[in-house]
Amino acid sequence: MIERIEILAGIKKLPAFSTTVVRLSELVNDPESGPGEFEAVVQPDMALTANLLRMANSAYFGLSRRIGSAREAITLLGVRRVFQLGAMAAVDGVIPETLPGYGIDASVFWGHSVAVAVLAERLSKERKLATPALTFTAGLLHDVGKLVISSFLAEHIEALRSELASGQMSLLACEQKLLGADHAQIGAELGLVWNLPEEVVKVIASHHTPDVANGGRGDVVVDLVHAADCLSHSMGFGADVGGMQRQVDDAAIARLGLRHIDLEHVASRALPEIEGLTQFGRSQKKGTGA
Amino acid sequence: MNLVKVDIADLKVSADPDAIIITYALGSCIAVIVYDPVRKAGGMIHYMLPMSETSPEKAKERPAMFADTGIPLLFHTMYEMGCRKTDLIVKAAGGGALYDDHGHFAIGQRNYTILRKMFWKAGVMIAAEDVGGAKSRTARLFVGTGRCTINSVGEESEL
Repeated sequence: MIERIEILAGIKKLPAFSTTVVRLSELVNDPESGPGEFEAVVQPDMALTANLLRMANSAYFGLSRRIGSAREAITLLGVRRVFQLGAMAAVDGVIPETLPGYGIDASVFWGHSVAVAVLAERLSKERKLATPALTFTAGLLHDVGKLVISSFLAEHIEALRSELASGQMSLLACEQKLLGADHAQIGAELGLVWNLPEEVVKVIASHHTPDVANGGRGDVVVDLVHAADCLSHSMGFGADVGGMQRQVDDAAIARLGLRHIDLEHVASRALPEIEGLTQFGRSQKKGTGA
Repeated sequence: MNLVKVDIADLKVSADPDAIIITYALGSCIAVIVYDPVRKAGGMIHYMLPMSETSPEKAKERPAMFADTGIPLLFHTMYEMGCRKTDLIVKAAGGGALYDDHGHFAIGQRNYTILRKMFWKAGVMIAAEDVGGAKSRTARLFVGTGRCTINSVGEESEL
């Protein structure tokens, strides 16, 4: 069993999460804010700006000239995209090279995070829902708890493999059994320490148990991220020690009104975007998962 | 050793005896693996979805995304290398499923159903398969020998 004090020590070991992203997330929710406000928030964060410009100048966006400032990035790519890239740049900065408890390296974690972010937004559009601005960021951050508990889980890797091999237990249930806590709970703790927006913390806490969000009434972003997480694993983004031993929440899928045709349509349309955005991770240079 | 990586919605063929054709992380996707022991050539597709009608424009860009456009393309690419249909050994892996009581995400099952239907119509026999279950798989084809392996949950098996 994992003690709270150990969790907090694990959280402290992670690099600091850019507070700029938290401030950007407040701006993106504010209809009054414009490129000027965004620039004022982004510019002082040198590391984030550098990472953001590296992404904005990648071949993926095919811009004809080189972007040299956050303001230019906002003008050419739009506030929403720059906000997304900012969140990606921040997450990219905190992923360790390997997550031994899950049997994956940084590139697999990154690919899964990006896939869930893209899919959550696209599922929302597919159902013509008014997509809350934080959907992408919430998708990107949903699994951050794994960064904390990976090393604790690694101490039980043989027991974990044997629990999983028995066939009927989800990875989440195995975490609970071995550690007395799971990556969703611990991720929510981390979200509070990082001062993430309340909506994002809610998604992190409930993405495997969407039916309990909002006192059983459900929450659209939680439902979207849950569905995106399931679809991502179906598509093969995020294959780890748990394989596909993950529970689909029927009520969440029903609330979103998603049919298999919607899921397949979104998967086919989202793949190029996932591949394009995934290339931006530093971890992509380091190899592949199995 | 020459590693030929097949991405999602991608297909590759090779007649290089040193080549290993590999695809990672088959979730609900399916890999069809073909090998010609006469020509000593192999090929693999990693398709994601059953039917191209889901997204006809994507099927034009990337036919290997769908079973109905990708599998025929794999076979034709093998024929272009001088392979004959009767010589080909055909195997399949993937088509995994989440814990999904109501089958919302039955993509793996649908991927497998269309595969069986297409092969039945075309008179193609599946020599070996490792499909279904809550598994993620990595598939390898050793072109020099035709050996085929599947890795899942840290264990390797011959296909």
